[in-house]
Amino acid sequence: MFYAGDAVPGNGVSPQNDVLKTDKKEDTLKERPSRKNKKKEKETIEKPSVKSKSEKKPLVLPVEASFFALFLTVLLGGFYVVHSVWAAAEAYSAPSIVLTSHSHDGLHVFDDFREAYAWLSHNTEVDDKVASWWDYGYQTTAMANRTVIVDNNTWNNTHIATVGTAMSSPEKAAWEIFNSLDVKYVLVVFGGLVGYPSDDINKFLWMVRIGGGVFPHIKEPDYLRDGQYRIDSQATPTMLNSLMYKLSYFRFVETDGGKGYDRVRRTEIGKKHFKLTHFEEVFTTHHWMVRIYKLKPQKNRIRGKTKKSKSKTSFTTTPRSGTTKKNPWH
Amino acid sequence: MSSFRFDLLVLLVFSIHFSPALSDLVISKLDRRIDLTSQIVRVTLTLKVENRGTDPVSEVSLTFPEHQANNLALLAAVSTEGKGKTRGAATNLPIKIKQPDDSPPSLIWYAASLPKELGKGESLNIDVLAVFTHVLRPFPEKITQAESQLFLFQDSAHFTSPYNVKVQSLTVKLPSESVESYTKLENTKFSGSEIKYGPYEKLAAFSYSPVIVHFPSNKPFVVAKELVREIEISHWGNVQVTEHYNIIHGGARSTGEFSRLDFQARPHVRGASAVRNLIAMLPPRAHSIYYRDAIGNISTSNIYADSSKTLVEIEPRYPMFGGWKTCFTIGYGLPLQDYLFQLGGTRFLNITFGSPMNDVLVENLTLKVVLPEGSRDISVSVPFPVKQSQETTFSHLDIAGRPTVVVEKVNVVPEHNQYFQVHYKFSNLSLLTEPLMLICGFFSLFVACIIYMHADFTISKSSASYIAKLQWDEVQGTIQQLQDIINRCLLIHDKLEASLRELSRTGDIQACKAVRKSADTLLKDFSKESKPLLAILQSSPQAAHILPKVEELVVKERDLQEKIMLKHTMVVDSYEKKSGGRDIENRVASVQQKISVLKQEVDDLLEFIEDI
Repeated sequence: MFYAGDAVPGNGVSPQNDVLKTDKKEDTLKERPSRKNKKKEKETIEKPSVKSKSEKKPLVLPVEASFFALFLTVLLGGFYVVHSVWAAAEAYSAPSIVLTSHSHDGLHVFDDFREAYAWLSHNTEVDDKVASWWDYGYQTTAMANRTVIVDNNTWNNTHIATVGTAMSSPEKAAWEIFNSLDVKYVLVVFGGLVGYPSDDINKFLWMVRIGGGVFPHIKEPDYLRDGQYRIDSQATPTMLNSLMYKLSYFRFVETDGGKGYDRVRRTEIGKKHFKLTHFEEVFTTHHWMVRIYKLKPQKNRIRGKTKKSKSKTSFTTTPRSGTTKKNPWH
Repeated sequence: MSSFRFDLLVLLVFSIHFSPALSDLVISKLDRRIDLTSQIVRVTLTLKVENRGTDPVSEVSLTFPEHQANNLALLAAVSTEGKGKTRGAATNLPIKIKQPDDSPPSLIWYAASLPKELGKGESLNIDVLAVFTHVLRPFPEKITQAESQLFLFQDSAHFTSPYNVKVQSLTVKLPSESVESYTKLENTKFSGSEIKYGPYEKLAAFSYSPVIVHFPSNKPFVVAKELVREIEISHWGNVQVTEHYNIIHGGARSTGEFSRLDFQARPHVRGASAVRNLIAMLPPRAHSIYYRDAIGNISTSNIYADSSKTLVEIEPRYPMFGGWKTCFTIGYGLPLQDYLFQLGGTRFLNITFGSPMNDVLVENLTLKVVLPEGSRDISVSVPFPVKQSQETTFSHLDIAGRPTVVVEKVNVVPEHNQYFQVHYKFSNLSLLTEPLMLICGFFSLFVACIIYMHADFTISKSSASYIAKLQWDEVQGTIQQLQDIINRCLLIHDKLEASLRELSRTGDIQACKAVRKSADTLLKDFSKESKPLLAILQSSPQAAHILPKVEELVVKERDLQEKIMLKHTMVVDSYEKKSGGRDIENRVASVQQKISVLKQEVDDLLEFIEDI
C-alpha cells in the first residue's frame, strides 16, 4: 500500500516535488472537470444503449435463414452419426480372425481359422499336441482346446527356437524334433492361394533367425539368395527342402493347373511336385489358409538292405562328432 | 456275429419244437419291402390275415429276432377292412411287447390288438411299418477319401412269423443301381435298384432263410449323438426353440488323410459320402434364426422362407467325413398363436417332437419344455413311449423358477416328428406378476430415496459434544462477521488515505472533507454493528480462548481509526492554512509512525484469527 507520506524522497528533491505537485494540481484541476464530464458522457452513452437493449432483442438472422441453418445442422448431425457407424463397422471392426472381401457377388467371408480350430477341437484326441508358430498359440488353446508347444507368451526363447528349427529343417530332422516333443499335429498358415499376406512363409525369416540363434546348425545364409528369402526357382535347396516350404506348398501346384503361382509372393514356386514322407495331410481349410498335418508313425521294420548299411555307418558316425550337420537332439 | 449265429440256431430249433398254438391264424399273403436308401432301414409289411380256426382272435403277433428288435425305433400297424376297391377306413392298432412264457429270449414278440375280433373265416389286411436304426454295417469299416462306402445288410428272406404263411415275397430297394454282392436263393431277381426274393409258398411258421446284401451307398449318414431341444414359452407372444446338436458322420470311418484339393476339384469322386450341408424344415413364420457354435457365429447358411415352411440350409464349418464330429446350435422364434391353444380352463402347447432336420437319426433326444412361472397341473401326452421328468429352470425375473418338463427318448427317427401336447393351467392374472414386480421394485427404490433425503440421522441432539459443536459454529460465524466489519473499516481507511493523496494532487479541500465525513459516519455504523457481535462472543463459553485476541483486535482497530482521522484532520487543516508540504509531513510523521505500527499489528491479528 502506498502512503502519501511514506515514499517522499530526501529534502533535495522536495522543491521539484512541490513544482510537480503544483503542476499536477493544475493539471488535475483541469482534468477533473473533464474527467467528470467524461464520466457523465459515459453514463449518458450507456443509458440509451441499455434502453435499446431492453426494448428490442437483437435478431442477427432472418427467420427463414435461421430455420434453414438449423435444418442443415440437424442434417450434419445425422450424417455424422451415419459416418461414425460406417467407420466403426468398416474400419474399426476388423477382427483378424475372420477376414472379409467384397466381391462382385456380395461379401465373401474367410472363416478359415475358426474352421481349422473347430476341426481340431472335434476331430482330434484330447491329449494331442499341436505345433505351430507362436502367433496362433492362444487361439489354438482357446478355440481348439488343444495343448500347443509355444504360444503368444513367448517366455521360453529356446523352446520357440526349437519349433523354428523344426520348421526350417528337412522333413526327417523336423520329424525327429517334433516326435521328441510328443507332437501329433503340425499347423501352418498359408496365404498363397487367396493372397493373405500374414502367413507363415512371410514369417519364415524369424523362424530361421530365432532357430539359428540357439541352434548353430541353422545358418541364415543357407536360406538366402542375394540377401533375400525366396521360394521361386532361385531359392536355395535348403529353403526348398525345409519343412515349412513343404507343408505350405504340398500339392499346391495342382490347384492352378501346374503353375503354382503364389499370390502373396507373386511368383511361381520353385519345387512343384514333391511327396511328404514323414507327414500326412489331415485337414486343409476351405481357402487353404490353415493346413494341418499329422506326424506319421515310425515304421515298424527297417528293410534288410539298410540294416547292413546302418551297421557300417554306426562305426563312422562316432568320429564325426565335430561336424555340424548332426541333429542336436541326439 | 457269433451271437447272431447262435440266435439263428436257436430259432431253427425253436421253429421245429414250438407247439403251433397260434396256428389258428394264417397269413394268406405277405409282401415285405425293405428300403435301404438311407441310414434308417424301413420295412413295410403288407399282410392279409385269415382266421382258419374256430375261436375269434383279438390280436395278431409279430416277431422279430432280438438283434433286430434292439434296433427297432418304431413299429406301427394299420388295419383296413375289405379288399381292393371296397377298402374301409384305416385304424391304428396299438402294439405292445407281449412275450409268451415259452418263447426263447432271442425272439421278441409284439402283439397288435385288433379293433374288433376276427371271427371264423374272416380276413383282415394289415400294413406294418418297422423302422430300424444301426442295422447297416459299413464293410470295409475304414475307407479313404476316394472310396465309396459299402454296407452290409443281413436279414431273412422268409419273414419270421408265428403263423404259417401261404405266399410271401421280399423286395429290397437299394440306393443305387449297383450292388456288390447278394445272397442268391431260388426265385431271386435283381433288376434296376431292387432285389426281389420270392414268391415263396407254403412256408411253415418261424421259417428263416438268411440273406446278406453288400451294396454301395453314398447317402449322407448324419447321426446326432445328442440333441437337446429347449422350447421356452413366453406369454408375451413368442415360443423360442433352441436346439443343440452333437453330430457325427455315421458311415464308414475315414482313414485320416483328407485332401482339400481332391475334395474341391472332384467332389463327387473324392468325398462322395461327405456331409456337405444339412437341411432343416422349420415351421412357417419362424423368425430370428441363428446358427452358431461354441466359438462363434457360422456364416455358411441360407434361409428360404415361404408360406408353408421355412427351409434353412446350413453347412457345417468343414465337410464331414466318416467318424468326424461337429457341434452347433440352432435357435429360432415362433409366433405363440400357432402353437398355444386353450381348451376349457387349461392351455396346451401343440408342437413337433423331433428334430426339424431331414434324415437325421438322433441317438439321444432330450426335449425340455419351459413353461412360464406360475403354471400348474402340467401333463404331457406324446404318441409314443418316452421317459418324462420335471425340473425347474431359472430365467429372467424369476422367483420360484419356471416348471420344465423333460422328455427323453432314445433312437429317434424322422417318423417320430409328430405333434405332441403339453397341458397346463395358467391364470390370466399371473401374467401381471412380472410387470408388477418391476413396478414395485422401482417404486420402493424411489420411496427409499425420498425417505433417506428427508430423514434426520443425527444420533443425539442433547449430547455435550453436539452442543459444543453448535456453539463453536456460532462463534466462528460471529468471528467471520467481525472480520468482515474490520475489513470494511480498513477499506475506509484506505479511502481516507486515497482522499489525502487526491488532496495533495488537486487541493480540493471540500471533497476531502466530504470524504472524511462519510467515512466518519460509516465507521460509527460499523462500531455499532460490532458491539452485539462482541457481546455474543463474550457470552459464549467456546470463544474463551479467542476472545482476548478479538477484543485486542477491535481495540487496536479503533486506535487506528482515531489516528487516521487525526492525521486526516491535521493534513486538511494544514492545507487550509496553506502551509508547505514539509510542514505537513513533520506534523504527520509521528502520527504516521504509530499508524503504520498499528496497521501491522492489526494485520497480524487478522491473520491469526483467520488461521483458527
